Amino acid sequence: MNDFQMHIHDAVIIGGGLTGLRAAVELINHGKDVALISKVHPLRSHSVAAQGGINASLGNHPEGGDDSAELHAFDTVKGSDYLADQDAVEVMAKEAPKAVIELEHMGTVFSRFENGKIAQRPFGGAGFPRTCFAADRTGHNLLHTLYEQSVAAGLTVYEEFFVTSLVTDNSKCVGCVALDIRTGELHGFSAKATLLATGGYGRIYARSTNAIINTGDGAALALRAGVPLEDMEFVQFHPTTLFGTNILMTEGARGEGGYLFNNEHRRFMEDYASKAMELAPRDIVARAIQTEVEAGRGFANEYVHLDLTHLGEEKINERLPGIRLIAMDFAGVDPIEKPIPVQPGQHYSMGGIASSADGSTPMPGLYAAGECACVSVHGANRLGGNSLLETVVFGKLSGRAIADRLEDIPDPDVKRVNQMLRIEDERIRKLLSRKKGERIADIRSELKNLMFANFGVFRDAGSMKEGLDMLTDLEARFRNIYVDSGDSVFNQALIYALELGFLADIAPVIAKGALAREESRGAHSRRDFPARDDERFLVHTMAYLRDGKLELEYAPVTLGKFEVKERRY
Amino acid sequence: MKLKVYRYHPATGQSRYDNFEFEATPGMTVLAALFYIQDNLDDSLALRYSCRGAVCGSCAMLINKVPRLACRTQVALLRNPENDYSEVKLKPYPAIEGGEPFDSSEEVLVEPLPHLPVIKDLVVDMGKFFEYYRRIEPVLKPSDEPPATERAMKPDDVRELEHYTNCILCASCFGACPVDASNSSYLGPAALAKLYRFHIDPRELKDNSRLQLADYPDGWWGCEFHTNCKLVCPRGVPPNIAIGKARVKLKKGK
Repeated sequence: MNDFQMHIHDAVIIGGGLTGLRAAVELINHGKDVALISKVHPLRSHSVAAQGGINASLGNHPEGGDDSAELHAFDTVKGSDYLADQDAVEVMAKEAPKAVIELEHMGTVFSRFENGKIAQRPFGGAGFPRTCFAADRTGHNLLHTLYEQSVAAGLTVYEEFFVTSLVTDNSKCVGCVALDIRTGELHGFSAKATLLATGGYGRIYARSTNAIINTGDGAALALRAGVPLEDMEFVQFHPTTLFGTNILMTEGARGEGGYLFNNEHRRFMEDYASKAMELAPRDIVARAIQTEVEAGRGFANEYVHLDLTHLGEEKINERLPGIRLIAMDFAGVDPIEKPIPVQPGQHYSMGGIASSADGSTPMPGLYAAGECACVSVHGANRLGGNSLLETVVFGKLSGRAIADRLEDIPDPDVKRVNQMLRIEDERIRKLLSRKKGERIADIRSELKNLMFANFGVFRDAGSMKEGLDMLTDLEARFRNIYVDSGDSVFNQALIYALELGFLADIAPVIAKGALAREESRGAHSRRDFPARDDERFLVHTMAYLRDGKLELEYAPVTLGKFEVKERRY
Repeated sequence: MKLKVYRYHPATGQSRYDNFEFEATPGMTVLAALFYIQDNLDDSLALRYSCRGAVCGSCAMLINKVPRLACRTQVALLRNPENDYSEVKLKPYPAIEGGEPFDSSEEVLVEPLPHLPVIKDLVVDMGKFFEYYRRIEPVLKPSDEPPATERAMKPDDVRELEHYTNCILCASCFGACPVDASNSSYLGPAALAKLYRFHIDPRELKDNSRLQLADYPDGWWGCEFHTNCKLVCPRGVPPNIAIGKARVKLKKGK
């Protein structure tokens, strides 16, 4: 039997993206003992890839003078197809200007207007140009700023540590177990509070803008520990991902004036959202593109054109330099000269670990924030520019809530962590000892393809039932996967196997939630139930894993001052 | 396609080159090719990856003797001798001279980023790189108390800053710098460019206090202006220009 290393901290944060770093800095500012665990160096987190910007009603834009937190909240609630919890949205919209100013004070180099104020651009579904940005590298700039803050604050980071399980004691979270990727050793972490800030699960879909590391680790860890996942059927498909690699082509490209053309060279958005056109919310534009392609009006039956050529070289280089570089590097297209081939691809998870605005989940000691959480501020469809905002607002609020409560929590018993270390050690040994069976790559690619085909932009009962059967079959085969390499140092095949396990746990949650929701709302679009059904489904889906069985329950939506109406753009 | 990949395992301390041959898909990147190897041919191969879109800085490695991001490097373009993409003319240094022979018209040679210790295969220990990063105190130190709103900045100042804030800390420059090859104490291009970024930030004090953080032989004065850093940077960051400007300012101040 191995002796395992044990680390004891008051608070442990899992995930080193914007949410995790913001929470960590907050905890350190409150003088707390906190450590951050990340499976990659924090700067390699997916936050770095966010492009277009962060929403805040600063009113810096010449047309934005009448903007307000309330209008930001209204746009967010309407964009959510009224599924967002209005109290949480109000918190986010109110905190937004402070959060952006704080990031500026921390050192972020935002793009500026001539008067020196932070520049703002129009974004989909927003009544005013509200999206603050750093060219088209906003996530990169914010992540580097927060990493700088964390370094200056002396944050302890367990880098390239992969969390395999949470540890619970009497239905409280008391820590986690993590694999040191560099040595292959398991480490125990005992903590009074654990914050999940692990991001999304985009890699469950064949076409995704997400980083390869986005495998839903946090959501699956929570589900396994008995915490419900909320609204997981709401999956955002970004309308404009680069054909071929599905790398994100920011909404900012349309915010700066880019057009979408079909193969008849028509701005087809006039058929779908005649007022908002290309700046309708993402769910609407994604469906429009998918419909055009399916009707034979796309190119190569795969994509449409995102045309920036009329914007001119200067504007493209100033406002969209990253987009230009990506289009040239990955599609061989210079957007100054030619339109960019784009198609919808999975981009964001509106659903996640059921949590409140202070990060708390139904399980004492366990917190969640950022994309892995569902507060819910995005409801059935997230507006562009609200996810960077979510990371810093709820990262900070979670950090503060944890800091406020730590004193009242007794030191957890490390015995439970030790027990879990042995269980996880045994599980991993068993996995590594199997030398024949199903190939990880096969299961993974079948899973991704079926999720995109059967639980994609458009859904119906027939294909979803078929998809669920396929998932059941895959689940059985997954139990028989093997890892060839028995190496302890950087055994990435083992990591892939564990990640696939997370994806395999999440897939049925998305699938069953989607099949049960017999309506169309936001990003959940059913051909057999094309209308929204507030009577039956103005509710949050809550998925629990109980004794290995997935069970769905429903919880009320927190309504407020914004009346539930039909959504038109 | 043929890939010749450097392999190293810490347990044995032995290194070797493995040859892999398979059909390249159209537009296949070196990163995708390495994933193909992991998935189909040898799952013990180790490499770092994350975004696959040239923004996270994980996958810098030596590809055909040039430090590049694997995710941004297309195999087909490397093999096309007419493509200037395969013709980055670097000032020579030990890691790119001699070594394993390869034929660029037929195969792609993939090796770990030079000047950092190898952990396994293509994974290097970035410890020293980030130690130098931390040494330049990479955090904004504003010269005044925070106002209620943002501090105003001129768009031109932002444009100048962006040359340096675009750095993704992938360490390609560190692995391309002939000075880093011979002097392991040299801070290197990325850390110095980062330091310069804070120096020119109009929100900081307008004096030379920032520059003095690297006013020593292994700092600003270590550079020999080979400019390999600028040539290999996947984001077009020019550390050589930052270093040149910093030196001029420091000389004037003396």
